[in-house]
Amino acid sequence: MIDWYNSNSVLLQTTLTTLLLALSIQVSMRVGVFSFAGIGAFGIGGYLAAIGMTKWQLETIPAIAIGALAGAVVVFLLGLLIGKLTGLYLGMATIAFTLIVAVLAINGGELTGGASGIFGALGDITLEGVALVVLVVVALLTFTELGSLGRQLDTVREDPELANSLGISVTRYRRISFAVSGLIGGLAGGITTLTRSTITPEEVNFHLVVLALTVIVVGGSGSWVGALIGSIIFVWLPTWLDFVSEWEELIYGVLVTLAAIFLPKGILGVIRDLIHRWQSSRAKKAAGVIGPDQDPHSISIAETALPAGVGGRTPNRRPASTTKEES
Amino acid sequence: MQDVLNAAQLGSVYLLFALGMALAWGTIGILNFAHGATFMFSAFVAHLVSQAFALPLPLALLISVLTGALISVATQVFAFQPIIHRSRNITTAETRILIGGIGVASIPLAIAQRMTHSAPFGINTTYQDVVWDLGLFRLSSTSLIVLIAGIGLGLGIIFWLRRSKQGLALRAIGVDSETAAGMGINQFFLSIGTMAVAGGLAGLAGALLTIQLRAIAPETGDQLIIKAFAIIVLGGLGSMTGAFIGSFILATVETLVLKANLGSWVDAVSFGLIFIVLLLRPQGILGRKEVRRT
Amino acid sequence: MSTPLLEVRDLAVHFGGVKAVDGISLSLQEGSIYGVLGPNGSGKSTLLGAITRLTPATRGDILFEGRSYANVSASRVHHLGVGRTFQTVRLLEDRTVRDNVLLGADTTRKSRAEIAERADYVMELVRIHTIQKVRPSELSYGMQRRVEFARAIVSDPKILLLDEPTAGMNTNERQEITAVMRLLQTEGLTQFIIEHDVAMMVDVCDYMYAMNFGKLIAEGKPDEVVRDELVQEAYLGKRAKKHA
Repeated sequence: MIDWYNSNSVLLQTTLTTLLLALSIQVSMRVGVFSFAGIGAFGIGGYLAAIGMTKWQLETIPAIAIGALAGAVVVFLLGLLIGKLTGLYLGMATIAFTLIVAVLAINGGELTGGASGIFGALGDITLEGVALVVLVVVALLTFTELGSLGRQLDTVREDPELANSLGISVTRYRRISFAVSGLIGGLAGGITTLTRSTITPEEVNFHLVVLALTVIVVGGSGSWVGALIGSIIFVWLPTWLDFVSEWEELIYGVLVTLAAIFLPKGILGVIRDLIHRWQSSRAKKAAGVIGPDQDPHSISIAETALPAGVGGRTPNRRPASTTKEES
Repeated sequence: MQDVLNAAQLGSVYLLFALGMALAWGTIGILNFAHGATFMFSAFVAHLVSQAFALPLPLALLISVLTGALISVATQVFAFQPIIHRSRNITTAETRILIGGIGVASIPLAIAQRMTHSAPFGINTTYQDVVWDLGLFRLSSTSLIVLIAGIGLGLGIIFWLRRSKQGLALRAIGVDSETAAGMGINQFFLSIGTMAVAGGLAGLAGALLTIQLRAIAPETGDQLIIKAFAIIVLGGLGSMTGAFIGSFILATVETLVLKANLGSWVDAVSFGLIFIVLLLRPQGILGRKEVRRT
Repeated sequence: MSTPLLEVRDLAVHFGGVKAVDGISLSLQEGSIYGVLGPNGSGKSTLLGAITRLTPATRGDILFEGRSYANVSASRVHHLGVGRTFQTVRLLEDRTVRDNVLLGADTTRKSRAEIAERADYVMELVRIHTIQKVRPSELSYGMQRRVEFARAIVSDPKILLLDEPTAGMNTNERQEITAVMRLLQTEGLTQFIIEHDVAMMVDVCDYMYAMNFGKLIAEGKPDEVVRDELVQEAYLGKRAKKHA
């Protein structure tokens, strides 16, 4: 186990940084914001971390922190500016934003090292350190996926109008999602750059958008778990199958296309559906046999209407129930 | 004067590329992200054929146009239409089509990159470029072909949409697809036809640009996608005249930026344009008024 | 009379040149069922959208318990105690019935235990308590509408706005839904229904408005409104006018 861990530490770390990159888009998609601005934040975070280390003599952690914060602030402001755009327009505008980051890097003169980028920005980064950061991020995201908050965010994505009518502030959650997306993207950029010790404008290009999109579209955009599934597939599949590493881009293109057509919720969505089906079939067995022609769930209200006089708005008063059964 | 010609010629290339995209997006609502890969791969197929023997120019163009139409129709039939059938509403279909398009685009790109080792490729033709020195400026025969093809096809499509029966049907779909269905318009064949025309235009643009530049890199299509998006947004979705004007505006601004020795900022023009237009005039110069904000 | 629960004063919604709602005034007292009758395209749904602030109003004022909320954001309206349903079923497909119901109370300040208790109560009230773990797609249309009712009342709103609650339903399902409405009235819930189904409206409403071309054309007791000449005309077209 320890041997395996040591010999695969590079791949493990790549899995984690890929996960962070993918999460920067996943947090937007989860609230129905089709934004790729997280990738732009990756560039901002990467460049600032590298500049912090090489030009401002910062330590690793402050350098990454500055990059991540800058990513969060810039993307949040971007969200204020273009957050009202819908679907495709937002997607394309955020792709444009990401590419503008690259153009700025090329034209940043000495500060960004122009077209050749920044070298020698090697941070003090361990696999354990990256794992800790990812753990914190994932723990916080889990909190947003459970219970009341999870339901509200799902509604913001699936039906913003319904969300508003239920008192859920769509605008507020969308704005927050921009900031979080920028923060995670900036983190991913800083950690990736200081691990590799270099960043160039070439890296912050459309290819990176495709990579992040591949990971979450294949894995599933509904939860961070989907991004993890996607990251594992993306990083490890080429090491397991030789022909995959040979035709990597082609296979990922096919996977994304197939996922877009057949699995809009990704592999995670399939797993969740299977779990639900298994659970409900178990529950049905437990509840006994139901006639095939009858709607098993239909209970007439007219037949079981309340006796006259039942009223009051206190939730404690329960109506008389004639058909109560445990499910 | 040479700059005006350069801008006009660049605008023609943009127009040829953007026309197909604008047509598909503005009428049948398909923003085909694989349009750039279609453009590139059409030229690449002509390149492959031309390795056997030098092609006459019309044959090279024909191969590219047919390849482009074929890829585009295949994308529509095997990817976009299944997505539309499986989507709950238009918004989810739109984003899934964009994602599907990005996926589809990776496939020809990966094939071309692997076969060329990511090196630029050209098309071997029997055609000889001739340069005329007209005093004020120099004009090459290739430039002339690009200019004529771009402007001619641009105007052609504008008038075809306005005058013909199919054009009317297409515009009806673009405005309100439900009503169009009520009018008995067969959306399936119309959408296939539109995608074939769009792909053919991409193929033509690919072959012409490759011949003009002598070689293009497999990644060329990706950059053009964003530029074409900027052009369509600037001109106004649904308006071919808008795409026409937008192409030449973008080309002019880019030529001016180059002229001012700010070459490394050229790409920022189209990206910045997307922002400015979407924020200040979301319906573009000539677009129909459409709600693009929530 | 006391302060109306909900009051609409000269409300108008114009889309460019189209006057979807054009100067509507309503006054709804607590505890009654109100209805707005009108043919398709008369502006009913737009009126409901404007009252819930999902559709921006061009002019006019909306008051809840005497206080104006014409400039409050859409998501704040719910917090005042205004619940609504939509014309079509809008449930979260990947969530269970219970989750869909709980969603209605997610933004209230009540404790989790209180919400759970209230959810149990309303689910039993509309008879969906035995199917809490089922997903909406496994239910019939009528049952899905009941889940929406439960979601709309779980937050204990003071008024419930219903957008064509019986659209697309068979006779049985209609009867069940009207039974739910009466049940809720016994609970003291004020309801405001927009519909074009005359029979159902006459059956359930205490007071009725009739609307056409963005304006009110009649109001009063349901049977009076139905007999009104203008209402007859709006429903039966020009032929009725000739005969009349």
